[in-house]
Amino acid sequence: MGRIFWKIFIGFWLALMSAAAITGTAVWLQHHREAGPPELAAGPPSRIATDLAAATLRHGGVEAVRGWLQEVQIRRPAMIFAVDQQGHDVLGREVPPGALAAARELIESGTDGQGARRVAMASGESYLLFVTRPPGPRPPPRPGPPPIAPWEFIVIGIATSLAFSALLAWYLTRPIRKLRWAFDAAAAGRLETRVSPLMGRRRDEIADLGRDFDRMALQLQKLVSAQRRLLHDISHELRSPLARLQAAIGLARQEPAKVEPSLERIEREASRLDQMVGEVLALARLEGGTATRAKERVDLAYLAANVAEDARFEAEAAGRALRFHADGDAPVMGDADLLHRAVENVVRNAVKFTRDSTTVEVNVRTTKHSAVLTVADQGPGITSAELTKVFDPFYRGEAGNGTPGFGLGLAIAQRAIDAHGGTIRASNSPRGGLEVAIELPLA
Amino acid sequence: MSAQVLLADDDVELAGMLKEYLEREGFGVATVHDGEAAARLALSGGYQIVVLDVMMPKVDGIEALRQIRQTSRVPVVMLTARGDDIDRIVGLELGADDYVPKPSTPRELVARLRAILPRAKTGASGGPLEIGSLILWPEKRRAQWRGHDLALTSIEFNVLEVLMRNAGRVVSKHDISEQALGRPLARFDRSIDVHLSAIRQKLGDGARMIRTVRGLGYHLSRE
Repeated sequence: MGRIFWKIFIGFWLALMSAAAITGTAVWLQHHREAGPPELAAGPPSRIATDLAAATLRHGGVEAVRGWLQEVQIRRPAMIFAVDQQGHDVLGREVPPGALAAARELIESGTDGQGARRVAMASGESYLLFVTRPPGPRPPPRPGPPPIAPWEFIVIGIATSLAFSALLAWYLTRPIRKLRWAFDAAAAGRLETRVSPLMGRRRDEIADLGRDFDRMALQLQKLVSAQRRLLHDISHELRSPLARLQAAIGLARQEPAKVEPSLERIEREASRLDQMVGEVLALARLEGGTATRAKERVDLAYLAANVAEDARFEAEAAGRALRFHADGDAPVMGDADLLHRAVENVVRNAVKFTRDSTTVEVNVRTTKHSAVLTVADQGPGITSAELTKVFDPFYRGEAGNGTPGFGLGLAIAQRAIDAHGGTIRASNSPRGGLEVAIELPLA
Repeated sequence: MSAQVLLADDDVELAGMLKEYLEREGFGVATVHDGEAAARLALSGGYQIVVLDVMMPKVDGIEALRQIRQTSRVPVVMLTARGDDIDRIVGLELGADDYVPKPSTPRELVARLRAILPRAKTGASGGPLEIGSLILWPEKRRAQWRGHDLALTSIEFNVLEVLMRNAGRVVSKHDISEQALGRPLARFDRSIDVHLSAIRQKLGDGARMIRTVRGLGYHLSRE
């Protein structure tokens, strides 16, 4: 049981107990006031008795009342008193002082007839008439279930309030305990933990918190597995150049005449490794969101023209052509280096895959809100299932096997364009070949 | 005659260099670059040993091995990524003779190939080894249990031979690895256990002759 359980439990219980105590006191006070002074008898019988005594006194005089009283008192346990102004009873009995005082108070307070009466005689004397409570325990007020003693009331009250408080505290803290368990599990690396099924049909803020947790866990899970896959791919990709390095060293050892060509190979593999590590770092920086530096105004048309010029040399050396066309300026805001890299990767990719003696077309145009760059090759194209996968790191399509590169170019391009708030899409053009379109918001 | 090696690796450049290296070491080498061709050529019967890279496009090394083992007992060495224990165990259980981690030096590959290739035993023990109903002819690479030929892979034959030469004694896994595979046992290496379990399966009711001595090695009893 956590602290919050005890806080809710004790807080709620104290509230219940004080509410019970206040209500109990109020009820007790009310009851007491209605009961009247303890010395005087209340209720209809005693009222009738005082009325009778008053009538007898008024019409028969003191003697008549004395005789009536003597007669009546033999049969009745309750004592009817008729007291004169000096405080003497007509029968000469001893008057209980408390009852006399209570009767006087009743008369004075104007509640005449409530168990005490004052009768003024023609002679000028006045008598006070009242009935005292019979000695012994009070008779039960009315037949009914046996009365409950006050201590039983208290015990039952405490027990039920304890039970209700515990129930409420348990109900409120149970989902919190489950959430804690889920957080512990996630902290221990079990990101597949979900809380929603444990919340059942609960619909409140705590259940919402559980759903939020699930969303967070899912997002973390995706990120972690993407990172893990990337790491796995990187380590796997690093192995190929390393294996070639080992083989080249082995060949050099085996035959001294082969040292020179082997060294050349080793050099080539080393620079390939360097290039790959550079690309992986670029990708990591982009994914970490630390790559976007100060933004400046960049003309996408001018930038693409530069890239196309460089790429044309390579294309022509490989017996391929490249055509560039721009409608006019296409100003965008961004990091020129990063955008250059993205465009270059896409264009080089097209030059690599277009068939011999075909042309890669690079076009820049503007729409109302954006600058659009398209790069279309006349290569084999890719299957529609691969259209989104080409932007995954280290993805090399079936057609890409045996071609140089690490499968990082388009991945880097996509993340760079993303960082600029743009989009990059691949599609198979109807004329055959792959077309990549980059769209960036106009400056 | 030089031993013919079939080398399957999708890295064309690497395969070329390894071919060059192996040829200088006196092997005849053919290279292929996918699992499909590897399985087809391995089953053609023209090769004494097959080297399979696990990661290959289309049909991978594991699948090629499965296809080869359906009909052939040609020795197979797998090239597995360093640290990828699952590929290693799966390969061994599918009947690969051994594995070479990638990347590793070509020298290591040659050492492994030499250990696995049926060796022309030099001198010493010419006659057959015989323990109870278990008979083994080292030169002929043949073994029998109760008059029936045992279909052992090259490495399994080597392991059984080591145990029989040391019958009645406990042989450590390390010694078995050195003598049968021609390499020291790596940490957490389960190769010997996998080979032993295959041998026991093939021996059938003879399996009880071989006892595992926990923490020490294996023991082949004399009767």
